[in-house]
Amino acid sequence: MREITLSQAVNEAIAEEMRRDPTVFLMGEDVAEAGTPFKVLSGLVEEFGTERVIDTPISEPGFVGLAVGAAMTGARPVVDLMFGDFIYLVMDQLCNQAAKQHYMSGGKLQVPMVLRTNLGATRRSAAQHSQSLQAIVAHIPGLKVALPSSAYEAKGLMKTAIRDNNPVVIFEDKLMYQDKAPVPEDEYLIPFGEAAVLREGRDITLIGTSSMVQVAGKAADILANEGISAEVIDPRTIVPLDEATLLGSVKKTSRAIVIDEGHQSYGVTAEIASRLNEKAFYHLDAPVLRMGAMDVPVPFSPALEDLTVPTPEKVADAARRLCAGEMIHAA
Amino acid sequence: MPHEVIMPALGMAQDAGRLVAWLKKPGDPIAEGDALFEVETDKATMEVEAQAPGFLTDVRAAEGDDVPVGRVIARISETAETAGAALPEPSAPSETAKKAAASAPPDDLPEGRSVILPALGMAQDTGLLVAWHVSPGEEVAEGDVLFEVETDKTTMEVSAEAAGFVAAILAEDGEEVPVGERVAILTAEKPTAPVRRKRSAAGVEAPQSHEAPAAPKETPATERAATPPVATGGRILASPKARRLALEEGLDLARLVEAGHPQPFHVRDLEAFKTLQDARPATAAAAAQATRRITADIHREGFSEFLAWAAESEGHADAPALLAAFAAASFRSGREHAAICVIVERFGEESRHLDPDRAATGRSAVPDEDAPAPDLILRDLRHVSISSVELGAEDAPVLTIMKRGEGLAVTLECGAGHLSAAAALELVSGFTGRLEEPLRHLL
Repeated sequence: MREITLSQAVNEAIAEEMRRDPTVFLMGEDVAEAGTPFKVLSGLVEEFGTERVIDTPISEPGFVGLAVGAAMTGARPVVDLMFGDFIYLVMDQLCNQAAKQHYMSGGKLQVPMVLRTNLGATRRSAAQHSQSLQAIVAHIPGLKVALPSSAYEAKGLMKTAIRDNNPVVIFEDKLMYQDKAPVPEDEYLIPFGEAAVLREGRDITLIGTSSMVQVAGKAADILANEGISAEVIDPRTIVPLDEATLLGSVKKTSRAIVIDEGHQSYGVTAEIASRLNEKAFYHLDAPVLRMGAMDVPVPFSPALEDLTVPTPEKVADAARRLCAGEMIHAA
Repeated sequence: MPHEVIMPALGMAQDAGRLVAWLKKPGDPIAEGDALFEVETDKATMEVEAQAPGFLTDVRAAEGDDVPVGRVIARISETAETAGAALPEPSAPSETAKKAAASAPPDDLPEGRSVILPALGMAQDTGLLVAWHVSPGEEVAEGDVLFEVETDKTTMEVSAEAAGFVAAILAEDGEEVPVGERVAILTAEKPTAPVRRKRSAAGVEAPQSHEAPAAPKETPATERAATPPVATGGRILASPKARRLALEEGLDLARLVEAGHPQPFHVRDLEAFKTLQDARPATAAAAAQATRRITADIHREGFSEFLAWAAESEGHADAPALLAAFAAASFRSGREHAAICVIVERFGEESRHLDPDRAATGRSAVPDEDAPAPDLILRDLRHVSISSVELGAEDAPVLTIMKRGEGLAVTLECGAGHLSAAAALELVSGFTGRLEEPLRHLL
């Protein structure tokens, strides 16, 4: 199978959906003629023209609000938010408007909008351009959240997001845009709420999101050399969340670590760990661990920045201790 | 039937409440839940709601009065006319009302001062009984903390109003208790049989603070909550899965603690029970290990002749099946209705026979995968030079047949748990008899 970059996969997904459905359009800062953010959208304006690939002023609240209105009135906008950190600028448009219109109109309005943005630290972009804010979005009922972990996932999830009649926020890892993966040329979609079991294991379940799936996979490699068999699961979407697959795995292995690049406190890892505790309690032989980014603003200093995120070594170390029965003493 | 309106107990340390204001006038129609009056305690001012519909009558307390807790201050009647019936003695002190609450306790509860779950908040219906600080039979001084109660806002300690003994604890840690419900009984004398039970075990008692202080509803004398086994030194540290498996398999984790096994326990620590169980009932294990061994000699065997005859007349001679049939027939006594599975081992081959004594000759062999666990093992060593065996008990009794001069030797080895001495002797004598005179088997 051919291998393409995550960037190309996203580009293909949007192009295919724009060809399929004339109501799909693209909007954001620099998406058309100024080079496109991270070069993901190159070529789209040439094919679809400036009526469907729209450069906006530098006003996130303005163009995201515009997209919510367009979505409510029949279009299917794909909005590009250049950095995930800019979510803060569009909280009202996203959380108060997009998320609630369907509910508050008694089902009369729909907001089939995709907000495409990114997450991920270690790009030396400092504290305001390095955050992973998926937990903030996932907290709001009415918003779906997809976290692609490879080029294959990015394409399938983007196509499903564009066809979804609800607002969907997709966070791509900005360090993965040039990562290649096998992607079929034939069309495919990845349904929301279906986790992928990437590696089967017996002793511990490693649940990772976005680029943390790679971290979990590398940790599993390390552990395999030591005779610890780790299962690696990618939930793909955290809203909706495929609890059944996660619970099934944890009931098998009795142990779990949840890894996400958002700050650890009050985060995605906490939510998933809590559900495992609630629903698989009597199958647990060790506490479910969270591993997120340190609760600090992401440092600019490369030496410090690298310390703030989960790494395969840290995950493997925690898994080792859980399997050895060390970490039940916390209290 | 008129409903009495009393001054409720809003706090544990409260003897009286000040009637701040009536919110209804005498003769007003009342719906259940209507606010009747406002009462102020040292902690709070709150509205007291009607417990029943009707008309407010017989108002006996004026705004500004300090009214002892439990005093009837009005009635809710079916008509607006003032009911003529005499009210309870107006000067009845709160103590009387409280005693009345416990005046007719269910048979299994001691008499004494009721401790109720206090209302700590305005909108509070229930409180979570977090933990008891006293145990049944314990002596308490006035002001001693009895228990902790948690509401949606706060956790607070509830103290004893008077010195005495804890005669009964009527709700357990972790239970949700309606405000006003009795959770303990204090007595002046040391109780002879202090009670401790779960609230859920006793059924639901009527809340008492808002109700007329009538006799409590009959509380069924249900079983006391069994005190969970707690290892000395407190809580056992174990993973949830280890706990669940221990429960399912009937393993008491406290035994691991006693054995000095280091906590916390994980699933793999349950393996330690195997060594414990082997070590513990040493005598029982020894009994199971004890071996019965019986040897019998047959000087003139008829089996070979019988086999030759069978081969000639029946056209086949399946020695293992015949031996299995003889063995099963000798083993049958007392197992008339059970299936007997016999394994016949000869050097290099093994065959399983199901009810060989009942099957047509030579038709009893079954494939290994279909056979149940063997009831009897038969080792046919007639054609080798082994003359004596002492191999110990196996999972099933073992009969070994060996050559001995012109005849045969038969040895039975089995655990004492497999066969009684009498049954073992019967098996050996029956089997040797059949080998000696095979025709006996046919009869």
